[in-house]
Amino acid sequence: MIRLVVLRRTRPLKYGRFTTIALSLIAGIVLYTLILAAIGVSPVLTLSIISTSFISSGVVKDFIVLTVLGYALLVAFKGSLWNIGAEGQFYMGAVPVIYLTTIAFFTMGNVSIVQSILVIIGSIILAIIFGGLWGAIAGAIKAYAGVDEVPVTLILNYIAYYLVNILILGPFQGKYVYGYKRTDLIPEAYQLGIKIQFASTGNPIIDGVLSYVRELIIHGWWLVGLALVVFLVWWFFNKTSLGLKVKVLGSNPDYLVTAGWDVKKVIIATFAISGAIVGFMSALYLLGYLLRLEYPIEGQTAGYGYLAILVAWLSLLDIALVPVSAYIISSLTNAGIAQSSAPEVKQALTQAGFAGAELSFRWVMIGSILLTYSVLRFLSDYEVRVIRK
Amino acid sequence: MGSQQLELLLKDITKTFPGGVIALQDVSMKLRGGEFVALLGENGAGKSTLMKILYGIYTPDKGSILLNNEELIIRKPSDAIRKGIIMVSQSPQLIDRLTVAENLTLGLENVKPLGGFSTASIMLKEYSVKVGVKIKPEDKVWSLTYTQKQLVEIVRALILGAKVLILDEALTYLPIEERKKFYVFLQEFKRKGGAVVVITHKIPEALEVADRIVVLRKGRLSGELTREEATLERVRELMFAEAAKEITYERLPGSVKSEKPVIKAEDVWVQGDFGVPAVKGVSIEVKEGEVAGIAGVVGNGQRELLEALIGLRRIDKGRVSIDGVDVTNKGIGKIRNMGIGFIPDLPLRYGVSQDNNIIENIAVLFHREKLVIDWDRIQGLTRDIIKTFKILTPSEFYPVKILSGGNLMKVVVGRELNYSRKALIAYNPTRALDEITAVQVRRIIKDKAMNERVAVLFASEDLDEVYQLSDTIYVMNSGKIHGPFDPETTPREEIERLMVM
Amino acid sequence: MNGLESILGVIEGVGAAFITFYLVALGHSIFEKAGLLDLAIDGIFFMSTGAAVLGAVMFGNPIAGSLIAALVASLFGLLMAYLLTTLPISHGAVGLSLQFLGYGVGIVLGYPVRQQVGALYAFCYSQEALLEISGVALLLGLFIHYLIEKTKLGAAIRASGENPHAASALGVNVLVTRLIAAAIGFAIVGLGASFFPLLWQRYWDIKVYTLGYGWLAFTIALAAGRHPIFLLPMALLFGGLVEYSVTIQSMLKLPADVAKLIPFVGALGAMLAYSFTKLGRIFASPQSLGKVYYKEEKTV
Repeated sequence: MIRLVVLRRTRPLKYGRFTTIALSLIAGIVLYTLILAAIGVSPVLTLSIISTSFISSGVVKDFIVLTVLGYALLVAFKGSLWNIGAEGQFYMGAVPVIYLTTIAFFTMGNVSIVQSILVIIGSIILAIIFGGLWGAIAGAIKAYAGVDEVPVTLILNYIAYYLVNILILGPFQGKYVYGYKRTDLIPEAYQLGIKIQFASTGNPIIDGVLSYVRELIIHGWWLVGLALVVFLVWWFFNKTSLGLKVKVLGSNPDYLVTAGWDVKKVIIATFAISGAIVGFMSALYLLGYLLRLEYPIEGQTAGYGYLAILVAWLSLLDIALVPVSAYIISSLTNAGIAQSSAPEVKQALTQAGFAGAELSFRWVMIGSILLTYSVLRFLSDYEVRVIRK
Repeated sequence: MGSQQLELLLKDITKTFPGGVIALQDVSMKLRGGEFVALLGENGAGKSTLMKILYGIYTPDKGSILLNNEELIIRKPSDAIRKGIIMVSQSPQLIDRLTVAENLTLGLENVKPLGGFSTASIMLKEYSVKVGVKIKPEDKVWSLTYTQKQLVEIVRALILGAKVLILDEALTYLPIEERKKFYVFLQEFKRKGGAVVVITHKIPEALEVADRIVVLRKGRLSGELTREEATLERVRELMFAEAAKEITYERLPGSVKSEKPVIKAEDVWVQGDFGVPAVKGVSIEVKEGEVAGIAGVVGNGQRELLEALIGLRRIDKGRVSIDGVDVTNKGIGKIRNMGIGFIPDLPLRYGVSQDNNIIENIAVLFHREKLVIDWDRIQGLTRDIIKTFKILTPSEFYPVKILSGGNLMKVVVGRELNYSRKALIAYNPTRALDEITAVQVRRIIKDKAMNERVAVLFASEDLDEVYQLSDTIYVMNSGKIHGPFDPETTPREEIERLMVM
Repeated sequence: MNGLESILGVIEGVGAAFITFYLVALGHSIFEKAGLLDLAIDGIFFMSTGAAVLGAVMFGNPIAGSLIAALVASLFGLLMAYLLTTLPISHGAVGLSLQFLGYGVGIVLGYPVRQQVGALYAFCYSQEALLEISGVALLLGLFIHYLIEKTKLGAAIRASGENPHAASALGVNVLVTRLIAAAIGFAIVGLGASFFPLLWQRYWDIKVYTLGYGWLAFTIALAAGRHPIFLLPMALLFGGLVEYSVTIQSMLKLPADVAKLIPFVGALGAMLAYSFTKLGRIFASPQSLGKVYYKEEKTV
């Protein structure tokens, strides 16, 4: 008779982290491919789209956003604080940006460099504050009322959606948008995107590389922001006292209390920092890409807030792995989008009755990656031993 | 039970834990019906592990268990229970929010899933009369005292039809009166053919009640003695071998205390966990360089008092001042900042962060003022602590969770002792430490008091420890404090009497 | 529309909303009482609505829809309970993954059928069925209350939620107990969720997954201490808030988003109120809710 026993490992599995991530991704991709195959899409096509997506230029934007958001969530997750509210913090961070650029300092023409810089920096700083405050609300509720942060942050997401929607239809309603339900476009003077164009060389490979590089340059400022965030998060956890307290909070809050620290303050500070980083990215995103808010807001950012959860988890909360994880997730997301625009896929979907619901498969892929990951995660800390009697 | 002689044999049991700790190596032990066996050994000798294997909590790497020559497969407690092997440990394994009857019903196999709790209620009433203590079946477990909970545990064992009763320090912390009732009952249980195994560190008591003594040392069977052969000396020898000589309960030299009070509690009242005051008007003063020990049976308010003094628990009435500063209800942060060390109850749960490494565990306590941590300083400190307490670890960067329980305790104790500049407040400071380290820790505490003028206030369930360590003894009973007493002149019986009256 | 009709209309709406929220919260409560944190609730809710639509259309009968939804949800519950009890993995992580999976599966189940059929009206419960279904819901609630408080199985479920290690020591088979709680609990969740498209809204589309009603049910359960009887007024309150907010909106000409805000702000308020009052302690969560169940083999 054999029996399986789960035991804690004496030393963490050597390539355990790598294997866990790899296996989870494979599971998700396989499931995704199988589902599409079941409705008539060739697996070869699916897999080829997935593999080319890794080097497609569309990945760059998502990669940067997800890396920064991934770090934001990493800060909270390391303290065992499940910040599911990145979506809400993102939109609340957008509020001051839109206000400053399309209401307070809106302009149709040129402005001085000084004003540009001040408005941009002002927007970024306020976005950080708004995001931080929205996060701190969740932190305060958890700290003082003891309510589980997951439903609280989720509910705050919904509240943020609806609040911003109300603003878009109200005071933020654009004046130059011909009645559409959206805000005005952010004036060029305040935009962060670096404009550049490459001439087509005719060679698809070189063109591909050039478009990839072009994306990197367009989001040049974002890359600067990314580098800043990476450094700050590293410094936070390795050198600061608050960072250490967050780590201990994640492992044993009781010890933090015994050591004489105020756990409430640590919780609120952690959520605030997490939300602040989200706010930072929100400002960059609006100023450098989105350039306006449309009603209704729920679908505007492809659910970055939720994808970032996946990124943070998949990185095993390792600061070095967050960009890797973000790159993989962005590639897969782009594959999904590329997939749904490929004509063969569209045809198969319509035949099976899924016309209009292409994006739904994305949920299945995300869900199965996350599920496999959650289950396999334990293998890096525990081992399964076979006992024979 | 009945006329058939019961014979239980544990054969060649071997068990290794993660971290490479060999808990048991080829240990064999026999138990017979009608016999009362005491299983002795120092901390980490393997006695608890051996019994937990018998009870299905752990799985052995090698070895077998035979009941009347039939091999048993025990994978979980319910398997053992089915064979009549039941263990009661020192912490009651009951569900607080359920009633006594509900707790008991969970183990009754002949009650169907949709059945109610009346069967258990009836049986409980029956047995509580037999053992001689009152418990109502509809009481919620959280409202019971420790003694009552232990009694429920024992009753549960009987209701489940125990033939082999394992008591893992189950009676050690009961007041003497209750303990005596139990021993009487256990003798009867024995006479009816049951077997009893008691794990205790109270050696003299074991010598009194046991028919046979089995001693484990460092995971192996060290020896067995019958009641006639057993003496304190021989048992000590089997437990510690040569090291036995290092164990001393001799009093450590007293220090000269100054007149300056460091810890001062005035008429302090503190609520317990169940809405009833646990500390009732306690006044105590500990001076610079003084070691004050609170003796008492567990559950009389010592833990709550110490938690209130360090700022973890609300003080309803009265005042606490440390070093002349009023700290009543000002929070643990302020008190810790004054350089007060604290060894909590359940240190592995409240005093350490398992997912962090040793140096991080120490850094969290130590560095207090700055934004940025001075890792160099902390590293030096950590290395010191590792050296002084002989903590077995490859390096200070190793995660704390792979250390054995004893070594973990050393980290906690070492850290807190090092941190105490003005005072140290400790609950059971040497629990879970092997006797040799325990003596070392007591020596360091005494040393700190003498040379660094630290004021020490500790509570211990081990009266020997209190006597060995204290300059002044207090006794806590039912939330009230008696004392101060001078250990040099006060007879031990008087202290013991105050503990149990 | 005369006064009586509109009042009846409101009662009908609130009644259906109440049934939906009550059953979903009830099933969720059973699951959590066993110590399993249910962060998948919103995904399971949506998935069950999709399954209900599929079942109702496929068999031409709303009851089939409810049963299929209950079955599918139950299977997910069993999976969750099994994984979380046998392996030392995070309840939150598994819950959220199943939430996303639930969104996806819900779309896969319901979308093709819905495109095919267009309007759901023909496959829904009749107006008169509301009364009968309410009766069923109340009876179910009473039965569950009896089960949890007065039977050995109920004690085992509560024990597993408070302290699975102690429960195991006391003789409870924690795995089997949790599987039963999950099967029953999620079946009721599926049942309740099926009433959303088939009784309450008489409508379904993909956007339903953005509603967050699973989280409202989560809050209802939290605020009412997961108690089958106290869930009744709580579910009525929230059902009323959701239904009524639409009415307020059309009466006061408020933007639709304000109306949608109200239940969520209410949910937040309920959570806060619950934690600050004595109710918080009486209705406390099971002590081991969401804790990884792993038998630590360690010395000392």
